[in-house]
Amino acid sequence: MKKITKEDIEKVDPSKKDLGKNWIKVGMSTCGVAAGADEVYAALIDEAKKRNIEIDIRKCGCQGACSVEPLVEVNVEGLPKVLYGRVTKDVAVTILERHVRNKKLLHDYIFEIN
Amino acid sequence: MEKKIIYIRDTDSAQKERINDYFTLFSNELRDANLLEQVQLVKVADIGLYEKGVAVKIIPENIVYSGIKTTDVKEIVEETIRGGKIIKDLLCGKKSKQLRAVLKNCGYIDPESLEDYIAAGGYKALVKVLTEMKPEAVVEELKKSGLRGRGGAGYPTWMKWNFARGMNSPEKYVICNGDEGDPGAYMDRSVLEGDPHSVLEGMIIAGYTIGSTKGYFYIRAEYPLAVERVQKAIDQATSAGLLGNNILGSNFNFELEIRLGAGAFVCGEETSLIASIEGKRGTPHPRPPYPSVKGLWGKPTIINNVETLANIPLLIAGGGTKFASVGTEKSKGTKVFALTGKVKNSGLVEVPMGITLREIVYDIGGGIINNRDIKAIQTGGPSGGVIPQEFLDTPVDYENLGKLGSIMGSGGMIAIDDTDCLVDLAKFYLEFCVDESCGKCAPCRLGGYQLLQILKKISGGNGELEDLNRLKKISYAMQKASLCGLGQSASNPVFSTIRYFEEEYKRHIVDKKCPAGKCKALISFKVISEKCKKCGLCMKNCPANAITGSREAGYIVDSQKCIKCGVCFDVCKFKAVMKE
Ligand SMILES: Cc1cc2nc3c(=O)[nH]c(=O)nc-3n(C[C@H](O)[C@H](O)[C@H](O)COP(=O)(O)O)c2cc1C
Ligand code: SF4
Ligand code: SF4
Ligand code: FES
Repeated sequence: MKKITKEDIEKVDPSKKDLGKNWIKVGMSTCGVAAGADEVYAALIDEAKKRNIEIDIRKCGCQGACSVEPLVEVNVEGLPKVLYGRVTKDVAVTILERHVRNKKLLHDYIFEIN
Repeated sequence: MEKKIIYIRDTDSAQKERINDYFTLFSNELRDANLLEQVQLVKVADIGLYEKGVAVKIIPENIVYSGIKTTDVKEIVEETIRGGKIIKDLLCGKKSKQLRAVLKNCGYIDPESLEDYIAAGGYKALVKVLTEMKPEAVVEELKKSGLRGRGGAGYPTWMKWNFARGMNSPEKYVICNGDEGDPGAYMDRSVLEGDPHSVLEGMIIAGYTIGSTKGYFYIRAEYPLAVERVQKAIDQATSAGLLGNNILGSNFNFELEIRLGAGAFVCGEETSLIASIEGKRGTPHPRPPYPSVKGLWGKPTIINNVETLANIPLLIAGGGTKFASVGTEKSKGTKVFALTGKVKNSGLVEVPMGITLREIVYDIGGGIINNRDIKAIQTGGPSGGVIPQEFLDTPVDYENLGKLGSIMGSGGMIAIDDTDCLVDLAKFYLEFCVDESCGKCAPCRLGGYQLLQILKKISGGNGELEDLNRLKKISYAMQKASLCGLGQSASNPVFSTIRYFEEEYKRHIVDKKCPAGKCKALISFKVISEKCKKCGLCMKNCPANAITGSREAGYIVDSQKCIKCGVCFDVCKFKAVMKE
């Protein structure tokens, strides 16, 4: 990795941080992994590729709603950002098809709305 | 019209079907109004409101209505969705009670990416410290902030750092305490796993401030993912020049290393932890001397909790005064709690100091499962105590919790209801402390064992009233005479349950009954013949063959054979099995 300079850090404006318009984040802390988050993460990556769905899929830490893991946060242009809980591999596929591709939110799995 | 979304949720979990009726109602109204194309109607699993009937949230306006009746649906569609007008009577004024400061990156950034941390404003505090602050100025900022240790005792962080800074020694050390041995707590693990660089940044700043060039992360070996992420963060920071020599072009050098804890609770105590890093047995030493004077390898050392260190970057970046604007007079900033037990939404919450226990349990936790009544809250784990329901409106801070006989602790918080037995709870924590006692000093080793025997006697149905006095006396002796915090605080759960729930102890001792039905020796199972429909399910399921009878004669429990597993009570569909 190249050395980071003071200027690199100083020039960042976190309020302008752009995560991009289309992304999915999977909570991958110990409890998430114990609940099956790594399977969900792998399913999202595989299925997105198989189905030709372009979306940035990333990992993150604890989102707080620890009792309803695995947690998957989804942001797609034109829809509000939502947090899905109790996500299984099947639900993950539905998220890709229904939410990401068809821009329709899923029923019954949303735990937090922003 | 702009596209809209209606989120809909029945906050009353008991009424499972009702939500579908409302869903149909809304769909019909939307169809009649010809709005189906523009509006998405979505059933959600949580809308952030509890016990407020059917609720909807309308996006993008962010309008929340609650307690909606079927007759309101048409008006909502007509007035608000089509007309853009707010219906005041249905409006629900709701504010989030959580305040994410330490956890602001957790669940937001990729914990394995240094770029992500920097893009979220990370390491700005370090740059600020290295370019424009003398160590004294950092201490001054900490003092202004009022930050106190999050590892349990709440010692002012600036004082600890200032002692170590003032020591004249070429070698000094910084230690991050990530031992987190308190059962039920996982705040520190979440921070280490979700935002490791924030703790690194806190440690580097600590090193600069006290004049140390070497720090240790002490993490329990049971946290392999936390260890992996922290190691990755250290490697990234080292190759990026944020650790090592001449950090960010300054003349400050600092390096970090991980040491694994072997999983003993007492190793979280600072003097044992230091002994453990030195490769010795992890047993406590008397203090003073305090580690800030004579710590690791006899050198001045500061030891701070994970959450304390994770507070440092945001405190420095925003300034001490801003930090101190949140909280109570003597407890500043936020605190992360692991909320568990009988609450509906268990999980990790971060709240401003001064919030009430009731707000945490009801507004954030959603209240108690099945809408039962809360009996008490346990804070501080095995070193803490219970706070009964009458004190739920107490603002949470170090002093208030101490006055009530509990402690802030590292942040475990357990909601207790009528199905929990407090004698059993005290016994659980004591068993933990007896197992974890290092045995070095007698009050803890012998006292803890004695206390446990008495509690076992009480829950076994052999208690005498004099036992209550014995419990109090031994507890007191342990508090005064034990060498380290483990023994000094091990009796807190006993002390505080007797203080507030003496009646419940007496029910066990005098009436030989456990009101919560937890203490096995004090409960019995009986088939109530009037209610029994003679289905035989209890007999079929009893693992001990303790139920006899037939479909003609009915069924009875043989109390001699019964192992009190409770299966019959659970399987009977007619509530014909009684537990008392
Ligand atoms: C038995 C026992 C266990 C402890 N376990 C921990 C622990 O797991 N994590 C922690 O940060 N502090 C623990 N402490 C407190 C530490 O001794 C020390 O006070 C703390 O790490 C100081 O950091 P702070 O000032 O940032 O809170 C424990 C204390 C005792 C007596
Ligand atoms: S109080 Fe308990 S854990 Fe602490 S030194 Fe004494 S025996 Fe060991
Ligand atoms: S409590 Fe368990 S052992 Fe006792 S009668 Fe019921 S099912 Fe049998
Ligand atoms: S630790 Fe997994 S979401 Fe909280």
